[in-house]
Amino acid sequence: MNMAEETAVKKLVKLTVDGKPIEVPIGTRLIEAARMTQEDVPYYCYHPGLSIAGNCRMCQVEIEGIPKLQIACHMEAKDGMVVHTKNEKVLKTRQHMLEFLLVNHPVDCPVCDQAGECWLQDYYMKHGLHDSRVNEDKVSKPKAVPIGPNVMLDNERCILCSRCVRFTDEISKTRELGISNRGDHSEVQVFPGKQLNNPYSGNVVDICPVGALTDRDFRFKIRVWYLKSGDSVCGGCSRGCNIQVHTNLDRPQHGTGRVKRLKPRYNAEVNQWWMCDAGRYDYKYHDENRVLAARKTGAQAFEETVLKEIAAKLKASKKTAVILSPQMTNEELYLARKLFRDELKLQHLYLASPKKDGFSDDILIKADKNPNRKGAENLGFTETPEKFESLFGLSAKGEVDGWIIFGQDLLSLYPKAREVFSKLNWSLFIGSNENETSKLAGFVLPSATSVEKDGTWTNFDGRTQAFRKVLEPAGEAKSEIRFLTQLGALVSSGWSAQTAEAVYQDLAAKEKSFPVRSYADLSGTASAIRVQAAPTVPSLQQYDNIL
Amino acid sequence: MSDLFNKIFTKEVLAKIDPVVVKYETRRAPMLEVLHLLQEHYGHISLEMEEAVAEYLQVSPMDVREVVTFYTLYYTQPKAKVRFNVCRTLTCNLLGAENIVKCFEKHLGIKSGAKTQDGKFEVKEVECLGACELAPMLQLNDDEYFGHLNEAKVAELIEKNKK
Amino acid sequence: MTEKLISKYFVEGKTFSLAEYEQDGGYQAIRKALDMKREDIIETVKKANLRGLGGAGFPTGMKWSFIPQNTGKPVYLVINGDEGEPGTFKDKYILRHAPHLFLEGVMIASVANNVHKAYVYIRGEYVKPIQILKKAIGDATAKGYLGDKIFGKDYKLEIVVHRGAGAYICGEETGLLESLEGKKGQPRLKPPFPAVVGLFGCPTVINNVETVSYLSFILNRGPEWFAGLGSEKNGGMRLISLSGHVRNPGVYELPLGFSLRKLIYEVGGGIPGDKKLKAVVPGGLSAAILSPEEIDVGLDFDQLRNLKTMAGSGGVIVFDETTDLVKALTVTMRFYAHESCGQCSPCREGTGWIYRILKRILEGKGRLEDLNNMADICAYMGGTTICALADGAAMPLRSYPQKFRSEFENYIKNSEANSRVLQST
Repeated sequence: MNMAEETAVKKLVKLTVDGKPIEVPIGTRLIEAARMTQEDVPYYCYHPGLSIAGNCRMCQVEIEGIPKLQIACHMEAKDGMVVHTKNEKVLKTRQHMLEFLLVNHPVDCPVCDQAGECWLQDYYMKHGLHDSRVNEDKVSKPKAVPIGPNVMLDNERCILCSRCVRFTDEISKTRELGISNRGDHSEVQVFPGKQLNNPYSGNVVDICPVGALTDRDFRFKIRVWYLKSGDSVCGGCSRGCNIQVHTNLDRPQHGTGRVKRLKPRYNAEVNQWWMCDAGRYDYKYHDENRVLAARKTGAQAFEETVLKEIAAKLKASKKTAVILSPQMTNEELYLARKLFRDELKLQHLYLASPKKDGFSDDILIKADKNPNRKGAENLGFTETPEKFESLFGLSAKGEVDGWIIFGQDLLSLYPKAREVFSKLNWSLFIGSNENETSKLAGFVLPSATSVEKDGTWTNFDGRTQAFRKVLEPAGEAKSEIRFLTQLGALVSSGWSAQTAEAVYQDLAAKEKSFPVRSYADLSGTASAIRVQAAPTVPSLQQYDNIL
Repeated sequence: MSDLFNKIFTKEVLAKIDPVVVKYETRRAPMLEVLHLLQEHYGHISLEMEEAVAEYLQVSPMDVREVVTFYTLYYTQPKAKVRFNVCRTLTCNLLGAENIVKCFEKHLGIKSGAKTQDGKFEVKEVECLGACELAPMLQLNDDEYFGHLNEAKVAELIEKNKK
Repeated sequence: MTEKLISKYFVEGKTFSLAEYEQDGGYQAIRKALDMKREDIIETVKKANLRGLGGAGFPTGMKWSFIPQNTGKPVYLVINGDEGEPGTFKDKYILRHAPHLFLEGVMIASVANNVHKAYVYIRGEYVKPIQILKKAIGDATAKGYLGDKIFGKDYKLEIVVHRGAGAYICGEETGLLESLEGKKGQPRLKPPFPAVVGLFGCPTVINNVETVSYLSFILNRGPEWFAGLGSEKNGGMRLISLSGHVRNPGVYELPLGFSLRKLIYEVGGGIPGDKKLKAVVPGGLSAAILSPEEIDVGLDFDQLRNLKTMAGSGGVIVFDETTDLVKALTVTMRFYAHESCGQCSPCREGTGWIYRILKRILEGKGRLEDLNNMADICAYMGGTTICALADGAAMPLRSYPQKFRSEFENYIKNSEANSRVLQST
């Protein structure tokens, strides 16, 4: 592109922020321009994914030539602007805006879940540090109001930034929230008799900068500074929202579950700043009802024993059926294909989904409740229900005498399977959570959940996303890659232990639909649990999209 | 249209409201007028009416609730038969509005902001009604202005409106 | 005395009908306007030095010249009849007695700006004026003065009356637009300004009731004559609303620049009981208060600005020597706290906070630092908000203690705590 073309495509303006000259695309708001120069302009009501409200007045900055301070979230950068974000006038104004917000604030910190990730606390330490001058009664409003199955509201803590209202207007488009009354008696409310009950209700807790909207599921569970954070990908549907996993390992007095909650992680192309409630609240399975050890005929056994017996069965006959799942990672599917199809030349390989299609919308939720159907398809596995049903006939006739099941609860999903199951010669269940099938299977191997292993999934859009393990597997559980590699070594040759990333590089080299990139490249934005008053803030590259 | 809508927006009500609504460029714009007309017809605005209005104007119920609670002229409870809205802003206050309120409180036996037991009378303090030349003054039944009030006139007003 | 223009029609109990108005020479100026070029009408109004009489005092002709006519969107005219500024009650008279004078003004303003749909927003409490105006519009429409071809010309004009529902903030122009669009009257972020993005996203002219009511006079008798009636750059007359401790409260039509002293003592008849003057609010509740030494000033926008106050809505409130100024300020701040829309933090929290501090001082629990605190809070309420309500609260808040500090100090010195100490010794 030549110069003329470039300026036509992306006109830039030059301005100075705190003495630093920068160039930004035309239309960039000052608040984003300041972020470019690493200047921390504080804000509450601004959110890059929502419309501009301009009501908190925290982001006011001084622009030379304009007598009144201007809010940076609304003011667009213009050529030649000279902006000051931290001179005395701006800092004093900021301190006073913060003071106004604290005039009626109930200072519930000792009992408020937001403590430790509260923007009032954070900004007070950084921009306030004033002594309170409030010698009168504070306005009293409703507290601990459950406005929906997932969200608790405390009107006194609310700073009326209107982020939650804008969310239900613009993102979930369900419009349950509004602000009633006026002045300092304003209150966020749901319509009497109605609830905040949409598939994305949990996001309002993420975006609430204070403890006004808190998560009922997380209420009083644990202090946030005891949590550690790891990045992962949600496996609830084929969108593959990027998430953070918040865990508690060191303080068992706060409950036995290791995973305490999930939060979305920003990804411009996949889920922006949001995740759905179904994905957000489905984390207990990492810690409940796990398959913790290898079993043979119902009794605990050594993993090596089980593997050796399975290897023998595989070598002995070709009448084994393998039922793969679109919940498996690309690496696992690749190794399974290598072992069962390429080396053992088994005929009866199936892909079966453990979950039926469900609710979908045009926001985030996909009907396909499996994270890796696309990856499976790209590796040559498609789900054909009629072909799969034929498995039961073949098994009844004895043409198939052993099943290897990767995680599905086949017996609950297919009543026909139940009749045939008992007639089989042998069966192996490799999965992370107990179900009907795992209880009745001849052999059981414990596998790791998605937060306990490395891997990649390819979402509905064809995007391959990598995730690394956040926790050590529970009990004796291991990633399927381990089991497949060990099995491979027992039935064939040339199988040595590999990391998931190495397997991926192998697979990407051979399969065109998988990009040849490192895990780091495929992992999206890294994030920390508590970036100073800016959770899930997009990386600096996001301004490239503003035009 | 839902049952609730049909219950509130009867033919008679629609006959009053439809001709007003068509004058506005958006479906939502006549919100204040619709609420005024409903209040004139039914006496006050119930939660059911708010939901019906939301359906009529194609907005969410909370959009209507926000408007009803923001503005002071919408009653969300049944009104008293006789309502004295006494101005309490600067000029009226200077010229004795607080005293006038006390007179009402004494004669009616209630505190400002409340209704009498039988639901007949209500006295409320409101902000400037744009009649400072009549200070101290009040608005009767959200309609007529009465000014240059004193104890005698207060008693007279209560007496005149007793039936 | 100067000739009465608008106030000629303020006859007790009488509303001038269409026929009476026409007999008096009404509905001639609009006919003239329909034959003029828009730019010429605007130029005429500019020459007349007509200022916005709702409070801002912005030159009307200049405001009209900001309207972009080439956006492909219709231009709207919105008349601000919210008359919420305490101390102001003049628009009520215009609507009650001279609705056709007002309507002619609306028509002229519409033609000047290529407007075919005008909304008149009147505060909901003005029940009679609304009824009278609606009837007047009906009469004008029946006569063909409104509708598809007004006055037989190829020009369409429709006027819709919209009732407010009790919110001072709907007198703020973008708050008014929000209210007209069926929402809470919460002001919008500016820019963009209503001239460019106003009602329903279209260019919008917003004028006060009184401002447009002078238009027919300007067109009938010439802009130079009109400008000459007033003072420099402040043309014509305006309706002053006089109230408080005066013998003759009421609406008085006076030339721009009329002496405040004369207003109080001659026109207003002086203070009842011949008591001494303590203070004057010269331009509606939001104007900074003036001390008795400052009343030799002409009531126009520029002279009052030089005194660090404002002509505002023309509401003059007179305080005599018996006035408790601390009480007056408390009542003032109570108004702003009640009327704050609640959108932005300094106004929402600040107005309520200040009111509670003043109430505490009034109740005898004031402390020395309260005065300094209030001055500091006030400094950050003004200039930091979405709209000017907080500025309107800040101006009286700054001026009362500034000019009458001893009154506040007395309350604090005689506080309950101090009295207790005095009693025990």
